[in-house]
Amino acid sequence: MSAPMNEPIKPGDIDGVIHERARLSIVSALAVTAQLSFNELKSMLGLTDGNLSVHARTLEEAGYIVVEKSFQGRRPHTAMRLTPRGRKAFARYLETLRQIVEQGSRKGQDFP
Amino acid sequence: MDVDEAQARMREIQRIMETATLFTLLPGAAAVVGGLLVFLGCGASYWLLNSLDFADIMRLSIPGRAALCLMWFAIAIASVAVNVLFTARLAARQQIALNPRPAQVAMFSMTPCLVVAAVLTFQFLVNWESREIRYITPVWMLLYGTGVYTAGLFSIRAPRVLGLAFLLTGIVALLYFPDYGVISAGVSFGLLHVLFGAYVLTKQRQVVTP
Repeated sequence: MSAPMNEPIKPGDIDGVIHERARLSIVSALAVTAQLSFNELKSMLGLTDGNLSVHARTLEEAGYIVVEKSFQGRRPHTAMRLTPRGRKAFARYLETLRQIVEQGSRKGQDFP
Repeated sequence: MDVDEAQARMREIQRIMETATLFTLLPGAAAVVGGLLVFLGCGASYWLLNSLDFADIMRLSIPGRAALCLMWFAIAIASVAVNVLFTARLAARQQIALNPRPAQVAMFSMTPCLVVAAVLTFQFLVNWESREIRYITPVWMLLYGTGVYTAGLFSIRAPRVLGLAFLLTGIVALLYFPDYGVISAGVSFGLLHVLFGAYVLTKQRQVVTP
């Protein structure tokens, strides 16, 4: 949960699931699209198959994304989309970033 | 997390969101329509010139030359208009804000190449005795391909592949088929756009729920 405006940001205020760089990229891409395929996300974000699978699983376990597996003809097709919970978490994370920048520029201070 | 890292993350998030938006908003249908318009233009050019070589424009009367130039100008304007309309419609359908920055990046990448192509076209038309106008199609293919490839550097792979296809076919057309400009235009601006549009439409149907 992001801190109120007048309180400094604490380590616990940053969502650890989204904070990881690759997972943040996945959530950012899914935030502006209805859904994206595994291959599109992989090429868009420059991730390997293994990397994307691991991070997608973490996001899925947190309830932030839904991974849908199907077949197109004989070929397996995996699509991902952001859940309402994931969208809220992303919005909170953006708000936290905004507060860090705002408070930092006011005080010239770093956060843990 | 310090302020610099927070700002860097915000910039990275913005970049990824723009790339993803560009993917969703690639107007495949507009590329198909643009390609079909070029096919019509090639047919009309052949009918007017009675030749596959644009250098034969100089055998036409002044009104005939003006008609040919105006027709291609109208096709270019119509293609741009269709692109803008279809992109706006896609954005509305996907409930995505039409972010002007990706569009600006694409426009800034394309503009220098298109200006050079226009200047060379003017020069070819002015020096019509030299028949350099026969190079008009390969020149447009090469410069348009360069622009699309550059714009594609800020997007997904598909536009870069289209740019490369224009560059490769442009090189072949310049070196081996400069006297078949009408066919080169049909193959590149017509067929390549139709194929690109069909590919984008297929991919968007696969991955984006309307």
